[in-house]
Amino acid sequence: MEIQHQTQIQKRIGIMKTLAWFMILWLVLAYARVQLWKGREMQKLALDQAVKTRTTPAPRGIIFDRNSNKLVDNRRALHLVIQYEDLPRDPGQIEALAAALQTDPDQLKRRVVAIRLAAGNRMLVLQDNLDDSAVARAEVLRARFPFLSIEVAPRRVYLGEDLAGHALGYVGEVTPDELAKDPARYQLGEIIGRTGFESARNDRLRGVDGQRRILVDYLGREVATYGIQEAKPGRSVYLTLDAGLQTTLKEAFAGNQGAGVVLDLRDGGILALFSSPSYDPNVFLNRLTQEQVKTYWDNPDRPMLNRVTQGRYPPGSTFKLLVALAALEKGIITPETTFTCHGHKNFYGRDFRCDAVHGTVNLVQAIAKSCDIYFYELGARLDVDDIYNTAKKYGLTEATGIDLPHEAVSRVPSREWKRRVKKEKWYAGETISVAIGQGANSLTPIALARFYAMIATHGKLLTPHLLYGVRQENGNGIDLYQAPPAQETGLDPGIWSTLDQGLYEVVHSGTAAASNVPGVTIAGKTGTSQVTTFVDKAHYASLSKKLKDNALFAGYAPRENPQIAFAVVAENAGFGASTAAPIVKKLVQYWFIDRMKKPLPPPGSRLPDAFRPDLDAAAGEEPK
Amino acid sequence: MKERLRFLDSGLLLPMVLLVIMGTLTVYSAGRGTFQSGLWLKQTVWTGMGFLVLAGVAATSPLRIFRSAFPLYVLGILSLAAVLVAGHRIGGAQRWLIIGHMTWQPSELMKWLTLLFVTHRLGTRPVQSVGAWDLVSASSLVFFPMLLVLKQPDLGMAISFLPILLLIPLLKGLKAKWVLAAVVGVSLLGVFSWQKVLKPYQKQRVMTFLDPGADLQGKGYQINQSRIAIGSGGIFGQGFTSGSQTQLNFLPVKTTDFVFSVWAEERGFLGVLLALALFGAVIMRILDTARVAKTASETYFCVGAAGIFALHLFVNVGMVIGLLPNKGIVLPFFSAGGSSTLSYFLGLGVVMAVRYRAKTK
Repeated sequence: MEIQHQTQIQKRIGIMKTLAWFMILWLVLAYARVQLWKGREMQKLALDQAVKTRTTPAPRGIIFDRNSNKLVDNRRALHLVIQYEDLPRDPGQIEALAAALQTDPDQLKRRVVAIRLAAGNRMLVLQDNLDDSAVARAEVLRARFPFLSIEVAPRRVYLGEDLAGHALGYVGEVTPDELAKDPARYQLGEIIGRTGFESARNDRLRGVDGQRRILVDYLGREVATYGIQEAKPGRSVYLTLDAGLQTTLKEAFAGNQGAGVVLDLRDGGILALFSSPSYDPNVFLNRLTQEQVKTYWDNPDRPMLNRVTQGRYPPGSTFKLLVALAALEKGIITPETTFTCHGHKNFYGRDFRCDAVHGTVNLVQAIAKSCDIYFYELGARLDVDDIYNTAKKYGLTEATGIDLPHEAVSRVPSREWKRRVKKEKWYAGETISVAIGQGANSLTPIALARFYAMIATHGKLLTPHLLYGVRQENGNGIDLYQAPPAQETGLDPGIWSTLDQGLYEVVHSGTAAASNVPGVTIAGKTGTSQVTTFVDKAHYASLSKKLKDNALFAGYAPRENPQIAFAVVAENAGFGASTAAPIVKKLVQYWFIDRMKKPLPPPGSRLPDAFRPDLDAAAGEEPK
Repeated sequence: MKERLRFLDSGLLLPMVLLVIMGTLTVYSAGRGTFQSGLWLKQTVWTGMGFLVLAGVAATSPLRIFRSAFPLYVLGILSLAAVLVAGHRIGGAQRWLIIGHMTWQPSELMKWLTLLFVTHRLGTRPVQSVGAWDLVSASSLVFFPMLLVLKQPDLGMAISFLPILLLIPLLKGLKAKWVLAAVVGVSLLGVFSWQKVLKPYQKQRVMTFLDPGADLQGKGYQINQSRIAIGSGGIFGQGFTSGSQTQLNFLPVKTTDFVFSVWAEERGFLGVLLALALFGAVIMRILDTARVAKTASETYFCVGAAGIFALHLFVNVGMVIGLLPNKGIVLPFFSAGGSSTLSYFLGLGVVMAVRYRAKTK
């Protein structure tokens, strides 16, 4: 019995040995399947998760003014991002992340899906420009959401802050709509110019993104670099702006609303362009929420509107030069023709008034004193289409072609326009109002400046532009921008000298006599355009500021050898001579006198607030 | 010298030493550049101590060893009780006792003490007189410490007590009614534990095993990364300290539970074959020792020991490649850990003692 049991146990141990071998064989087969059969596939999976391609955003071109003063720079800033290959697929995770970041989960989901579909190896930027405390917070988030990473990417810095907000514009991520419209042009997540020069010359400013092949560990941390294709920065760009003149213009507005622009008469380069109130482009670099953006756009002062190119103002008396031009060219008057001003006159059964009783005046005097009666008489003798055709000939009915986006086109009324827009026929009485720059007239300051530049240059229509040149690839010189050649309008020299004389008299002895700068002869025309109907002086005084007249001044200097042309609008400021002309006086004073002695310091002498987190904390909440 | 070390069985010692060297190198590679970069040195020290324990036990007469089986079993139970009362808690599990600067996991040793006591009890009776009741009482001697371990909770460790039950088919053979009873019992136990005993994380492990592809970033992550590591080893492996899955930390718990994935990634299929062959040699040698053992207790002990090794090998090596659920069970000679290393060496010491006595008398 014992023996039998012993042999049985021996037998069973033998069975166990066999079973053990079978078990090992099974393991061998399982490993053979994974290592031999699926080895390549697994190696690919291992590589895919360890070797990543990252896009290095190229810095955009640096922007200088014409004197190489830096206006826009790039800084290296830290951003909280999700790398393309780490984009989370779990909607729950995205929601949790949105909650942690206090953003809209649906929007975040859409962005994640969009970036994944684009398959462009771009990162999703969640927070820009992290300061020390934001980096600390981001690191805490990374512990919870390991797919997050912190990347260095260039960031725009607008050194002058609100010095030239509208001229420069700002940058931002390309929107899904823009991508959908022109998929070949942009890459998802690309930083492009959103407005201003940044947008108009985006193709010149953008660089070529680089690529980096790196080895990462399980947390996505870079362990080694396999290969780098360096990002190619955008080329540096020089603007026609003069930072000193721009500063003078900004300060001359002293917070009042309006617009001012100064043109270089040699080629139409813009020496200064300011729209007040301005904005600080740096603010828009942070990912603003919809509400924050709305507060800028819905602000009743309309800071986002570039008043120089998009603001349309009744030109007031500045328009009289065009009416005079029309009348002279049509031969209705000669420079010697006189009309008598009694302070008011009846046309077509309505009483039209003048600011004063000017007596008998010729054209030069009428311009100098801004006599409305004289121009009413012209209006009564001209057809509105005569005025329109002259405006067309001298470039007031088209866009100026300035290299800024969304330029508004000035409007000079015509019969056809009234029929098309108002579905009504033109009444001759309306021409009377048009003749003094009221009525359906509305000009952009840039168009007005171009018109006066045309007079200054004896009839040349320039194309205003901000681009001065682009730094050469080797960094040594500047490829100067060739502005489109000036259009010759064929202005008659005799007519020109009358207009020039009139504009000279305005500043010499007329409405803007107070604006003379010693040593520089200014030629220009004041304008006051009504925002609401004028009843009487008492009524006007009681109007709220919003409804007070706009003051304008446009012209050129110096008269003998014109170098610059300008147009300034001071909104709701009252009489043109008392508010707009002094701004021009400051411009001329700086450009022709002070600049030679002591130019203003370049912008950016202090760092933008975003780079001083310690001060931010003291100053309270920054709009982020 | 050779004469004095005759109690060491070279047929067992040789594959052991090779496996220990392979294991230590793997721990070195896995720990590189992490907070565990010094772990291989510690493991070497434990292995050294393990060989001392092995030599000490192997030189002792099995009779004396089995005589102390009962007090050792009681001590083991007390140590498990101490763990439950005053154990050190890491990540929701209370499995460790702290002695001085050392952490000790009593359940590792308890496996062997239980095996020792159970085989002692069964072996001291004539084979033919062992009845069903004896087997039930022997099983309960196994289940009691198992339950204490489950309570910690440590499912993997509890499972590694099961090979002791191999003694039942060893003694009684595989009879249909026994198999049926076992299947019914296991499934009842399974349903009961799924509903009452298993912690959510344990259920998750089972679910992950059933469908590992379902959630690659979540619970299936470990197995998936481990399979990628093993697969990318190919035939020849990526080379020592060159496995990307290992070195970039995609592989989880790579010095203990998933240490074999490191070996497979860096040494390839040939390395896997070598390791499995050596493990096979160890198990065969233990079963051979069971055949030549002089007493029933010794035979039973060796069969149980072979079972424990086979289970660890199968469950761990199978788990890292996704054949079996992610259990948290270590691989002898490879996984770093003091308690387990010393315990395995102690068990093998007993096997060597058995073989030495069988040779000499």
